[in-house]
Amino acid sequence: MKLNERSVAHYATCDSPADHTGFLRKRVERHHHHGTSYQRRWFVLKGNLLFYFEERESREPMGLVVLEGCTVELCEAAEEFAFAIRFDDAGARAYVLVADGQAAMEAWVKALSRASFDYMRLVVRELEKQLEEACKSLAACRKSPRRSSSSGRKRHLSNPALQPLQEKPTTLENGYSTWSSGGCVAGGATCPDYDGGQTKPPPLPPRRRSAASSATGSPASGLSPAMLESPVPPETICFSKLHNWYGQEIAVLRREWQERQKRGHP
Amino acid sequence: AVLKKRLVKLVVNFLFYFRTDEAEPIGALLLEHCKITKEEENVFSISFIEEPERKYCFECATEEQCQEWVEALRRASYEFLRRSLIFYRNEIQKMTGKDPLEQYGISEEARFQLGAHRQ
Repeated sequence: MKLNERSVAHYATCDSPADHTGFLRKRVERHHHHGTSYQRRWFVLKGNLLFYFEERESREPMGLVVLEGCTVELCEAAEEFAFAIRFDDAGARAYVLVADGQAAMEAWVKALSRASFDYMRLVVRELEKQLEEACKSLAACRKSPRRSSSSGRKRHLSNPALQPLQEKPTTLENGYSTWSSGGCVAGGATCPDYDGGQTKPPPLPPRRRSAASSATGSPASGLSPAMLESPVPPETICFSKLHNWYGQEIAVLRREWQERQKRGHP
Repeated sequence: AVLKKRLVKLVVNFLFYFRTDEAEPIGALLLEHCKITKEEENVFSISFIEEPERKYCFECATEEQCQEWVEALRRASYEFLRRSLIFYRNEIQKMTGKDPLEQYGISEEARFQLGAHRQ
């Protein structure tokens, strides 16, 4: 299967910031060989792509793992600090990786678990909804600034003759922003008292939390596991082909290059 | 240049292409650091940052289909998603004073920070 390998290699090695990098020992997969061995490689995570290089200074990656339709889990290997990337596609090989220590292992597992495009898309969609809700709340507030509220606080009524001041948004101690001139407080916060004569909008009811966050309530990832384990589309088979292909192609190219070097070609 | 009929599938940030009626793709394009250009009628092209003169051209059945593909492909990169996330996070933070990523436990991750210089 063809791949735009030059572009892929460029993406892997260009100076766009990586999401995580480091040395890991990668288990060597041998079909007809007893005993396991590991090779130390330089790993670079960019987006949903995990590249590995023979050495940190290598100019081209040796291989590529596409982090879609996979799980990252701690590994019951003989090695300490081992974890595995396993794919839902039964035909795809697993990658067993070993970190230098507990902290490194945890950091890698965390980074890899959240690397998928699907995860990003989920988060973005969730934020889109939240932004929409926040805008709607603001719009509703602006339309009816004199709506009575259930708060029992005393309120200064606005004097229609006065022009409201144009202020930049200020941040209150409780972290909510407020705008003047028909603006409002987003969320159920209480406002500080302004000088008399300025409109004080009533506080909005407490912001409703989205279904995703209220369902779990845990301090860890707010997405329930069910949301992350979506049914595997047939396209994941394509990704495992990419892994196999890329590894082989690069190995062949490297051998050819090394042979040319030996023969004294530039 | 000869145009060959292909089944084309956009899956996350990869564009796979198949010979029609075949189950396995014959090729894939990683859609990062690329530019999608609307060419003549029904045609768009994909080119990559390190080799801008090399264009992968695609001809669609209709102009409407062509526009759909251009829009979908422009939003297909992981980097585009990341920029969207940073944008929404920033906007929500400005409006509500709260960081929406805190509930996911990912607010500290470097890859989601505002002002990070990303391509």
